[in-house]
Amino acid sequence: MPHPLQAQRIMNASPRDPNGAETVNQENVLLDVAERIGRIREGRLAVHLHLSALQPQNRQEGYLRVAGRMLEPMVGAYRGQIFQLSNADIVFLLTEADLDDVHLHLNTLRGLFAKDPLTREDSGDGQDRFCTVYDLTHDYDRFLATARQLLAVARARTPPARPEFSPLSVTGLGALAERLTLIDASPFVRRQSAISLGGRGAATVIFQEFFISLADLQKWLSADLQVHGDRWMSQYLAQCLDLRLLAALRRLRLARAPVALHLNLCLSTLQSPAYQAFEAGLPTGTKLGIEIQSVDLLGDSRAFIAARIDFAAKGHSLVIDGLDEATLRFLDVGKTGADLYKIDWSPDLKRGDRSDPLHKALRALDTGKLLLAHCDSEAAIAWGLEQGLTKFQGRYVEAMLAATTLGVCEQASACSLAQCVERHGVIGGPLRAECGNHQRLDTPPPMRAPHRPMEQP
Amino acid sequence: MSLPPTAAQKLPSTEILLLDYVHKLERHRHGRTACRIRLSSLLPANRRDHHVRTAVSTFDNLVRRLKGQVFAVSNADIIVIFKDSALDEIQAALIKLRFLFDDDPVLMQEQEEGHPPFIEWYGVDQDYQRLLIMAQTLVDADLERRTQDPARLDGQSPAPIRPVPRETFTPAMLARMQQALAGADLANMLRRQAVCAVIGQAPPQPLFYELFVSIADLQETLLPRVDLDSSPWLFRLLTETLDQRVLALLRRHDDSTLSGDVSINLNVQTLLSPDFLAFDDGVKVNERGTIVLELQKVDVFADLAAFLFARDFARERGYRICIDGVTIDSLPFIDRARLGIDLLKLIWDSALIEGKLSDGSALGAYVSRCGPSRTILCRCDSAHAISLGQSVGISLFQGRYVEQMLAGPATRLRGGGRARRR
Repeated sequence: MPHPLQAQRIMNASPRDPNGAETVNQENVLLDVAERIGRIREGRLAVHLHLSALQPQNRQEGYLRVAGRMLEPMVGAYRGQIFQLSNADIVFLLTEADLDDVHLHLNTLRGLFAKDPLTREDSGDGQDRFCTVYDLTHDYDRFLATARQLLAVARARTPPARPEFSPLSVTGLGALAERLTLIDASPFVRRQSAISLGGRGAATVIFQEFFISLADLQKWLSADLQVHGDRWMSQYLAQCLDLRLLAALRRLRLARAPVALHLNLCLSTLQSPAYQAFEAGLPTGTKLGIEIQSVDLLGDSRAFIAARIDFAAKGHSLVIDGLDEATLRFLDVGKTGADLYKIDWSPDLKRGDRSDPLHKALRALDTGKLLLAHCDSEAAIAWGLEQGLTKFQGRYVEAMLAATTLGVCEQASACSLAQCVERHGVIGGPLRAECGNHQRLDTPPPMRAPHRPMEQP
Repeated sequence: MSLPPTAAQKLPSTEILLLDYVHKLERHRHGRTACRIRLSSLLPANRRDHHVRTAVSTFDNLVRRLKGQVFAVSNADIIVIFKDSALDEIQAALIKLRFLFDDDPVLMQEQEEGHPPFIEWYGVDQDYQRLLIMAQTLVDADLERRTQDPARLDGQSPAPIRPVPRETFTPAMLARMQQALAGADLANMLRRQAVCAVIGQAPPQPLFYELFVSIADLQETLLPRVDLDSSPWLFRLLTETLDQRVLALLRRHDDSTLSGDVSINLNVQTLLSPDFLAFDDGVKVNERGTIVLELQKVDVFADLAAFLFARDFARERGYRICIDGVTIDSLPFIDRARLGIDLLKLIWDSALIEGKLSDGSALGAYVSRCGPSRTILCRCDSAHAISLGQSVGISLFQGRYVEQMLAGPATRLRGGGRARRR
């Protein structure tokens, strides 16, 4: 006879197999078991973990796999059974379990998912949204109904659509890198401005960032060449794209040179002949900023420090890009000595009960060196202002810029705000050609900043 | 910042620099001695790059104190020219060098008649002409070597003079490697190296043994002419494949491979994979506490959320976690305690001698904050690394020199790649 846990493993094999009928297998078995145990309910416990309600980034396959594993010893000890359902939920049954021990295990699991609001918030009625515990002596009918409902819902669920992108393979990566060496990236280069808020509500553009839009590049590439790979593949691709960006920018023709030019580059690119030629070809006096991802900073800190020293001598700025709540908390970015730290806006930043370590990290940084990027709403700007930040970038800022441009542009009557935003975002092609006033398009107008939000009573 | 290749190719060779230096010495011959250490006569397995590096580093101190110059020429020989006041120090360094290579036939036969000495001596004053000829011969030999391109033998035009470049690591090569690894048995490439407490002059006490795949051996077998360092991100992908093979290997070993205290290198994503769960299945509960999981710093920070999840899981299961690959340059950005990690591995670097980090703070202060018994100085190839580490409060060490200390006075440095997986 196989070990009880062994039997469960076999049963649990590929619970989320996308091949049709098999996907509801676990729900079927659960209902079957739930009906059978109806005869002996005494001393049995059922627990339903609502992992399907986790935020998508917190219910990755690896996390769910580990969650199941964490429960196995307990389920084994209390002669139980575990079901990993097709919707990511986990249900397990226990016999004669020590309730304190069960709660201890549940708390450990809750800790693993502590990042997700599901583990912290109740549904308003005091009920735990993370898990439901059924004492089958009393709650059997309710549990049986749940098992039935889980099966019905699983059956009714349409099989998951094939993902739009099949992940990039290593061979695909090679083919893509090769293809990229030949393309002119100009049509995929995007421009975004960053602003700084001065006194009395004045806002000025402090730099324009130029980058390649992966989404647009993907649209242009054939469907079998995906630009979406895993993180290491993305880093590899970024190195290839850097060279295309530099090539495209050497042909950049604007009606007015940006006050400062920012590029998102890999550290390794800074050592390439292509970058050195680009830098040497810049008109005298051009202010340059190079934005580096934190993963790159850790990948080659020596190159980072060398770049910092080199940039300081040349008057360029070195920027750490893509900081989020986690990197701010766990990485001592202030010690890098960079000139600017770009934080990506996310509602996560606002979360009250997690704010302490974050705020501590923010306080350790010079607010004058902080920029809030990806500001897509007024809420983002408001949060930044509350933290004392004065530099912003993102779609909301682009809209402000376009709106102000429309206000001063002599040819504005022919254009909508959306058109003006789009035209600001490109460096060439038909979109830019549609604009009748390139001088205005490339010259940031004086702007008024959004007001600091009223203090909450 | 490194020079672009075109500029690098124009740099004078070490041989030229040596000849130039000998010319300059013509008027300063007095009180100087030169020696040529003929690493070129060692067995090929004993004169790989890292052997030469180790040998050169023996003289680091001398060069730093401006008492001499060291030239590592392209045939692997080392020429040291020094002030006579440093003779004792040189003798000590040479004893260490002989000790490193004393299982090589050249050293074993040195005393026999008719065998050239491993080390040749030149009094700069009395032997100046001989020294000059030696330097000139090295320049000529180097030029000849550079022009002898295989293409020329085929009757084609001679290739331009440049060192043989190693190929860049490409996705196609990675794909080939992954394919080859899918069925490979890595057992003969698995190495062990001890992490030891070294306190004062006391013999090292092993804490645990790192099990790792020798990347040098792997590369030599699969892609001998490829420079894996040329694409660090593809290398990370390669380690993910290696993780699976190593876990499979360890799972199969029901013998003593995992018994005793060990550490293994894994990726964060691997900790969340079925391979790791299957491995975990095979580990006895009481053994987990003795297993250290080593995670690369770049992997930890590439996806902090995944790291935090994997960390909590691994610790809950009883494993200990070490952040690996920390360099003197990245040290200031990393706070071990804040990351909730048990151990931190710092790579030996001669820049550590200055005792300062890139943000200007003191190394000693960092170590005391990180925890002296939680900081491991790895890749220690010399006694110097240990004493420097001890002087800033580090008590845990790993590396070739530690292995020699463990093996005792009878130790021999065996040939063969020992490059650690990064």
